[in-house]
Amino acid sequence: MIPAYIKIMPIIFPVFAGLAVLMLEKKRNEIMCAWTCFIATAINLLLCASMFGKEWDLIVPWGGMFDFNFSLRLYHFSSFILLASAGFGFLISLYSFSFMNGKEKINQFYSYFLITIGLVNGAVLADNLIVMLFFWEGLLLTLFGMIVIGNKTAFRTAIKAFIISGIADLCMMVGIALTIHLAGTMSMSEIHLQISSKTAAAAFLFLMIGAIAKAGSMPFHSWIPDAAIDAPLPFMALIPAALEKLLGIYFLARISLDLFKIGTNSLLSTIMMTVGCITILLAVMMALIQKDYKRLLSFHAISQVGYMILGIGTAVPAGIVGGIFHMINHAMYKSCLFLTGGSVEKQTGTTDLTKLGGIASKMPITFVCFIVAAASICGVPPFNGFFSKELVYDGALERGRLFYFAAVLGSFFTAASFLKLGHAAFLGKSPDDTAHIKEAPLPMLIPMITIAALCIFFGVWNYFPLRVFIQPILGEHRLEGHDFAGMPTNVMLIVVTLVVIIGSIMNHIWGAEKSGSGLGAADHIHDAPLLHTIYDKAEQRMFDPYEIGMKFASWLAKVTMSIDKVIDYIYNVVVVEFTYAFTGFIRRLHSGSYALYVVWSLLGTLIVVLYIMRKI
Amino acid sequence: MSVLLILVPLAAVLIMNLPLHKLMRKLAFWVGLVLCMLQAVLIIRMPIGFWNTQPDLLYRLLLFRPFTDNLAFVMFLSIAIVGFVSLLVARYAIENDGSKLFNFTNLLLLAMAGMNGLVVSRDLFSLYVFLEVSAVASFILIAFNNGKDALEGTFKYLVLSAVATAMILSAIGLLMTVTGSVSFKTLSSVMGPNSGNPVVLLAVALLLGGLFIKSGLVPFHGWVPDAYSSAPSATSILLAGIVTKTTGVYALIRVVTKMNLLTHQVQVLVMAVAAVSIVVGALAALGQSDFKRMLAYSSISQVGYIILGLGIGSNLALAGAVFHLFNHAIFKSLLFVNAAAVEKQTGTRNMDILGGISDKMPVTGFTSVIAFLSTAGIPPLSGFWSKLIIIIAAWKAGFHVYALIAILASLLTLAYFLSMQRRVFFGKLASGFEDLKEANLWILVPACLLAAITIGLGLCIPWLLNSFLLPIRSIL
Repeated sequence: MIPAYIKIMPIIFPVFAGLAVLMLEKKRNEIMCAWTCFIATAINLLLCASMFGKEWDLIVPWGGMFDFNFSLRLYHFSSFILLASAGFGFLISLYSFSFMNGKEKINQFYSYFLITIGLVNGAVLADNLIVMLFFWEGLLLTLFGMIVIGNKTAFRTAIKAFIISGIADLCMMVGIALTIHLAGTMSMSEIHLQISSKTAAAAFLFLMIGAIAKAGSMPFHSWIPDAAIDAPLPFMALIPAALEKLLGIYFLARISLDLFKIGTNSLLSTIMMTVGCITILLAVMMALIQKDYKRLLSFHAISQVGYMILGIGTAVPAGIVGGIFHMINHAMYKSCLFLTGGSVEKQTGTTDLTKLGGIASKMPITFVCFIVAAASICGVPPFNGFFSKELVYDGALERGRLFYFAAVLGSFFTAASFLKLGHAAFLGKSPDDTAHIKEAPLPMLIPMITIAALCIFFGVWNYFPLRVFIQPILGEHRLEGHDFAGMPTNVMLIVVTLVVIIGSIMNHIWGAEKSGSGLGAADHIHDAPLLHTIYDKAEQRMFDPYEIGMKFASWLAKVTMSIDKVIDYIYNVVVVEFTYAFTGFIRRLHSGSYALYVVWSLLGTLIVVLYIMRKI
Repeated sequence: MSVLLILVPLAAVLIMNLPLHKLMRKLAFWVGLVLCMLQAVLIIRMPIGFWNTQPDLLYRLLLFRPFTDNLAFVMFLSIAIVGFVSLLVARYAIENDGSKLFNFTNLLLLAMAGMNGLVVSRDLFSLYVFLEVSAVASFILIAFNNGKDALEGTFKYLVLSAVATAMILSAIGLLMTVTGSVSFKTLSSVMGPNSGNPVVLLAVALLLGGLFIKSGLVPFHGWVPDAYSSAPSATSILLAGIVTKTTGVYALIRVVTKMNLLTHQVQVLVMAVAAVSIVVGALAALGQSDFKRMLAYSSISQVGYIILGLGIGSNLALAGAVFHLFNHAIFKSLLFVNAAAVEKQTGTRNMDILGGISDKMPVTGFTSVIAFLSTAGIPPLSGFWSKLIIIIAAWKAGFHVYALIAILASLLTLAYFLSMQRRVFFGKLASGFEDLKEANLWILVPACLLAAITIGLGLCIPWLLNSFLLPIRSIL
C-alpha cells in the first residue's frame, strides 16, 4: 500500500520546488536555480520511473455538498505519460544549464518550468474531470509566464497564446460540464458514454477542441510560431514540442477511447480525421517557406499533431496505436530538433537561415543529432518516425484513400522542408565570420545525444515501446489480436513511403540547382502561381484565426463604441443639463429667508389639512 | 427598565452640575462616553423582557411606564452609537478649554435623555414633552459656538420648531376633546369610527404637518440645511444622525403605526411628500459646494426614503424603513465625521477649494467612500439592502412609479456623492494643502467604527433580515 503523500508527490514536489526557486534571489543564484531545477527534475524522474507500471487510486473527499472528490488514478496510460514528461523535463533542464546561462529572469524560467511539470503530472493523474480541469487551466499560467519572459515582443505573443488557449479551455470547460451532466459523475474512470444524442456529440466535440488545442492543432496553432521566435528556446522544446503534445493527445485518446466510444462509422471520427489532415497539410506548407530555424520547426510541431489526430481519429487499432506512438516519437524528435536549434542559436547567435550555413563541420555532433531527428520526422526507415507513420498510414488507408493521400502528401513536404533546413543551416556556403564557432557545450549535447539515440532505439527495436508502453493502453480486446511491433506488414505502404522520400530528395536537388542555394530549394513551390498569392496572404497573417478574431473584436468594439457614444450623449449632456436646470431652480428657491421657509411650511400644512379633510 | 435610560443621563447631568465638583468638570467627557457605551452594550446584551419590566416603586414615583420593542431597540442603539461618535468628535473639534466640552457633554446627555424618553413613550403627550426636551437641547447645541451663521441656523430651527410645536399641541388638544385621552391605545381606535369627524381629521392633519416639519421633509425643510451646516461638527453629527430622526421620523413612524393612521388618503399624502423629498433633496444636494450643506440636503433625500417605506405600510416596507433609519444614522454620521475632519484639518468646507486630499488623509478619504457608497446603495454595503428592501416593497405593493423614483434618485445620490468625493478627496492635491496631515485618533476611531458597522451589517444581511428586521412589524 503506497501512502497518500507519496501518491501526490509528483504534483506537490515540482510545484513546491518551483516556488522555492522563485524565492531565490536572482542575481546571485543563477547557478542555484539551475541546480535546484535539475535536481528536482531528476527526483521527479526517479519518482515517476518508480511509479511506472503500478496501479493505484487516491480518493480524498472534497467539498462534501457537491459530492466532489479529489481523486487521482495511476494506471498504465497515465504512468507512461508521467514517465515520458519527467524524462523530457529532466533532459531539458540539463540543456537549460548552458542555454539559459546569462539570460534574464532566469529564476522565473526555472520556477515556471518546475511548476509546469507538477501541473502536467496533476493533469495526467487526475481522475476527476474538475480536478483535471484545474491542473489543465493552471498550465495557462505558466505558459503565459514562460513566454512573457522572452524577448521584447514576447508580451504580445504571450497574450496571444493565453487568449487562444483560454478560448480552447473554455470550450473544454463546456465539454466537461456537458459530460458530467450526461454521465452523472465526475470520475473519469467511471464514465463510458455512447454517442447516442446530439448533446453527447457536442460534449465530445468540445472536449476534443480542448484536447487538440492543447496539442497545438489548427486552428488553435497560431501562437506557436510566434512563440518560437519570442520565447526562450527550452520552453519550445519542453512545452509545445513535448509536454503539450503528450497531454493533448493523452486526453484526446482518453476521450475517444474511454470516456466516449468513437466507432469507425461515426461522423466524429471523420471530423477528427479531417481536422488532422488539414492540420498536416496547411502547417507543413507553411513550414516549407520559413526562413527561420525555430519558426520552421514550430510549423512542423503543428503539422505533426495532424498525424496523431488522424491516427486516433481513424478509430481502428493500427491508427490509434500509430497515433499514440507518433505522439511519443514526435515529442522526442521535435524536442531534439529544437535543441539542435538552440545549440545553433547559442553558438552562432542567430537562427536566421539566410545568415547560417556550412556549420556542419564546426558542430558535428549537433549535425548528427539533427540528421537523426530530421530523418525520424521525415519517416525514413529505420528511425522511429517511420514506424509510427506507417501505422497511421495503415489506419488512414483503411478508412479512405483521401486521408491516406493527404498524409503521404504531408510527408513529402515534410521531407522537402527538412532537406531545405539541413542544407541551408548546416551545409552549403558558410558566411565569412564562422571561424569562432565551436561545438555546443556538454550539458547541451547530452540531452540531444540521448534523445537522438532514443529515436534510433525506438525505431530499430520498436517492439519495446510498442509492446511495453503503447499496446497495453488499448488492451487485448481492442487490439483484436494484432501486434504492430516489427516491420510493417503492408509492403505497398513501405514502397510508397520510400518513393515519396526519394521524390522529395529529387525535388530538393532540382530546386537547389534551380535557385542556386539550399535555402531556395523550395522557392519553386513558394513562387508557383496561385500558391504564391496564398502564401503572401498567409505570411501577412491574413489566415491567422487569432488575427481574424482580433479584427472582428476591434470592429465590434468600434460599433459598440459608437452606440455607446449616443448613450453617453444622452446621459452626459441631456440628462445632466436637465438635472442642472432643476438644481439651479431649486437653489434659487432657497433664498435663506426664514420667513419664506415658514410660509412654505404653513402652506404645506394648509394643503395637508385641506387634503385630509377632503376639501381638495 | 428602559426608564433608566432616561433617568441615568438626567441624573448624570444633575450630579455633574452640583457645585463644588471641580473634578466632575474634567470627568464629564468620560462619563458621557461610558454612558453611551453602556447603553449600546446593554441594549445588545439584555433581552427585551428585561427592558419591559419596571419596579412598582418607580412607576408610583414617576407615573410613567415606558414601552420597549424591537423598533425601540434600533433607536436606542442608534442613539448610543451616534452619541458616542459625536462626543469623540466634540473632543476633537471643540477647543478643549474644559468648560466647553463639559457644556457639550451636558447638553448631549440631556438630548439623549429626551430622545430615549421619546422612544419609549406610550402616549402622545409624553412624546411631545420628550420631543421638546431634545429639541431645546439641540437649539443650544447648534448655537454652541455663538457664530453668526450658527445663530441664524438656530433661529430658523427655533421658529419652524415653534410652528411645529404649535401644530402638534393643537392636535393633541383637539384629540383630547374628542377622545378624552392621549394614550396611543385609545387613539388607535379613534380613526375608524371618527373618520368623518372634521375635528379628528384636522387634528391628524396638524399632527402630520408638525411632524413633517420636525422630520425636515420637503416643503417643510427650510431649517435643515442652515441648521446642519452652521452647527459645530459634533452637533451636526448628533442632529443629522439622530435628533431629527428621532424627533421627526421616528415620532412619525410611531404615531402613524400606533394610531392606525395609514388610511388610503394619508398613504397617498405621505408617499407624495416622501417622493418629493427624495427628488428635491437629491437635486438640491447636486448643486451645493459646501460639504456639510450637501450632506444636509442628502439627509432630506434619505429621510424621504424612510418615509416612503412608512407610506407603503407593508411589513417588508416598514422593516426596510427602520433599517434605513439605522443605516442612515450610521453612514450620515460617518460622512459628517469626515466633514468634521476635513473642516478641522483644512479650515474650509468649500469643495471648490479642496481637492485630492485623500493622499494626505487616506483614512478619511477611504471611510468617506464607504459611507457614500452605502448611501447611494451600492452592494454589499448596508445602505444597499435597506434601499433594496424599500424598493422591493414598493414594487410588491404596486407602487411602481414610486419604486422607479426611488431607483432613479439613487443614481442622483451617486452623482452628487461622486462629485463630492472627486472634488474633495480624489484627483490632484489642491494648492495650499501640501502640509496637510491626517486627523488624529479621536476622529479616526469613530470613522473606522462606523465604516466597519456599514460593511459588517451589509455582509450579515441574511441573518439580520430574518431574525430582527422582519419581526419589527409584529410588535409595533
